[in-house]
Amino acid sequence: MAQALANLKIVEIGELASAPYAAKLMADMGAEVIKIERPGAGDRARDRGPFPGGAAHREKSGLYLYLNTNKLGVTLDIARPEGFALLERLVADADVLVHNVAPPEMDRVGLNFDRLHQINPRLVMTSITPYGLTGPWRDLRAEELTVWSAGGVCVLNGAGLDHPELPPLKTFGNQSGFQGGVHGAVATMGAILAQVRDGEGQHVDVSCQEAIASQLELTFEYWPYMKVIANRLGKKPIQPLEAMECKDGWIYVCCVEEHQWKAFVGLMGNPAWAGEELFRDRLQRGENWEALKIFLEEWVSQQTVMDLYQKAQSRRIPFAPVSTMGDLLDSPHLKARGFFVEIAQPAAGTHLYPGAPLKFGATPWAIRRPAPTLGQHNAEIFGGRLGLDAARLAELTRAGVI
Amino acid sequence: MARPPLDGIRVADFTWVWAGPYCTLQLAHLGADVIRIETKTRPCVTRMLPPWPGMKPGGLNRSGYFNQYSQGKRSITLNFKDPAAHEVARKLIARSDVVINNFAHGVMDRMGFGYDDVRKIKSDVIMISLTGYGDTGPYADYIAYGPAQVPLSGLSALTGYRGWPPMHAGFSYADPNGGVHGAFAILAALYHRGKTGQGQYIDMSQWECAMGVLAEGLLEYTMNGREPERIGNEDPWMAPHGIYRCRDRPGQVMGLTVDQFVAIAAADDAEFKRMAGAIGRPELGGDPCYATLAARKAHESDLDVIVAGWTAGRTAVEAAAILQAAGVAAAVVADNKFLSEEDPQLKAREYFVYKEHPEVGTLQHCGIPWKMSRTATAVRAAAPCIGQHTDEVLGQVLGYGAEEIAKLRAQGALD
Repeated sequence: MAQALANLKIVEIGELASAPYAAKLMADMGAEVIKIERPGAGDRARDRGPFPGGAAHREKSGLYLYLNTNKLGVTLDIARPEGFALLERLVADADVLVHNVAPPEMDRVGLNFDRLHQINPRLVMTSITPYGLTGPWRDLRAEELTVWSAGGVCVLNGAGLDHPELPPLKTFGNQSGFQGGVHGAVATMGAILAQVRDGEGQHVDVSCQEAIASQLELTFEYWPYMKVIANRLGKKPIQPLEAMECKDGWIYVCCVEEHQWKAFVGLMGNPAWAGEELFRDRLQRGENWEALKIFLEEWVSQQTVMDLYQKAQSRRIPFAPVSTMGDLLDSPHLKARGFFVEIAQPAAGTHLYPGAPLKFGATPWAIRRPAPTLGQHNAEIFGGRLGLDAARLAELTRAGVI
Repeated sequence: MARPPLDGIRVADFTWVWAGPYCTLQLAHLGADVIRIETKTRPCVTRMLPPWPGMKPGGLNRSGYFNQYSQGKRSITLNFKDPAAHEVARKLIARSDVVINNFAHGVMDRMGFGYDDVRKIKSDVIMISLTGYGDTGPYADYIAYGPAQVPLSGLSALTGYRGWPPMHAGFSYADPNGGVHGAFAILAALYHRGKTGQGQYIDMSQWECAMGVLAEGLLEYTMNGREPERIGNEDPWMAPHGIYRCRDRPGQVMGLTVDQFVAIAAADDAEFKRMAGAIGRPELGGDPCYATLAARKAHESDLDVIVAGWTAGRTAVEAAAILQAAGVAAAVVADNKFLSEEDPQLKAREYFVYKEHPEVGTLQHCGIPWKMSRTATAVRAAAPCIGQHTDEVLGQVLGYGAEEIAKLRAQGALD
């Protein structure tokens, strides 16, 4: 079966998560992605790990290896005129350039849409940046923590009223990067469909901050609609919706609908306290959570996670385990769906990685090649495809251009 | 401006709650004609949840939750207890490019709108089901609610203060994450259909989409057999790296004063040196306790005390501005009030959308997180009232006459 994006040609200049994830989503669906990295150091994700055995090594970073599957890798210093000229030649033949070069750096090296559009009018150029390409914050230094905070998520998470002295809490990992990436992939695919229709490309300006702010559940609208601040210190209007500790781990106790609560009370053997007026409906249970929590913690602490999960689900109560990484790798459900895939890469060895985020009926997701080593495809792309001879390649390598 | 990318693409949108509506919101943002199929007999729960203008509930059209995620869509109401409603839905599917739902596994099949039914109506249709667990596997029939999907995904086990129990993400993150991945998949399938004429079915599991964005945690386990420890706001490769309390206390939540915070991350020694200068402690840049990453990590708690001492005397906006002026990554830890009223960036980019809505008036909603240079990028209209477009869609899209519509309404098929 053909892959959905088998005809697409993409050039990526990406670091860490955002642009690399956008390109990975398309590469795993069949697009050809040529990833450009800085000579010498490469993508910063190469330095972040996790590393097999723990010791940092640029060819063994789990984050890099995950985010760059199915890509061809070249090194190129686009700040040098000879380097930019090679970028222009790669872009001349591409459908998409996706990058997350910081705006001040874009200005410095002259990476702008007008210039590339003249070379290739069909080019879709997607710029994924922390705050977008306009506005007073365009050029600000940013890291994952600051962007996730500026997007409005951190303030919602962390200890509540019981420990208000603790600060808001960052979500694990590179979530602002991933969200910039997947929203960037959506916008890029939209621009590609318009390119197919009209024969012309365009510039797509994606703001990670905006991608985050657009998914704050119902919390953002509490200000425009009610002038209420949404914050981790707020009380949940309905309960129970909490992680609780069992004998062997944690489970998320979740009853949204009344029938779910009733089924849970039945599962607990209809204890007398559950009939108290204080726990009459979900709003009352929210109001009187401190009291309810004591009863529930006592009961849950005597259960085991998987047993309670399955008993709850068999009664249509939407509990879920607080999965550890080991739980996920061992999950019979994920195994049956074949979610984790084995990828062998010469330096890092063979490991299991997260697989297809979606299953397509007609156009498979597939790993065709592992992430590239730094500059792995320089000869193939600059030599084979662009026709540079061996002497010129050696010269550019010596000069640090590639 | 040229027409938006998905102009002329129609979406039969059977979704509700959040994951599905977030998916179809992306398609509406790209210009698709998204038609939400709703019913007054069992309205979307988000129509009944707060926030409501003036804190007053009432009716099905006043919720900020629904109105945020259904911008630019149309709404029709069909009561599937009446066979005539099925006929209307079949006609709509015949005129749609994409059919999407996020019901529990099997519900669409029981309604007679499983993929095998749908492709008989339209052979090149693209159909996607957004479910918690996916369509196959031993837990396919398990039920999934937004808040529980975050711990299920593994994100809770990875998120939390050092030495503390697992925490949440603070919102039902797996919902929008699944929804936006679903939108990407639909667009890829539309591209493929454009090349080949072939439609297809897409099985999306929110759980799996969420594991795709926490790969580093999973890989620590698959590469080293270790569960990653929770490290709060720290980072393995940067210090200082934290969220620090500031001087200002701009609001109240549940009777408690809310502190403001600033997030600060110094990526390398040079950035730390700039930071040390900006906070009036230039000597720290050369201090062996702090000059290198290894030294800063070894003395991180002392360093955090120094930084917190500096931020405590400033408002979050001041602290962020001073650090940013020195080229240090810093940001106000924004809440909804800050985003809505104070964030100069979102304002300058005209991110927010103000569209007249018949029942709530012109309120502020979050907009489209990208801009396109050639094709139009704009939210077309406020979210629809329930069934607002039933007559319009049945008449103009499906070719029903006014009398037929009146008859369907009289028999309850359009409730």
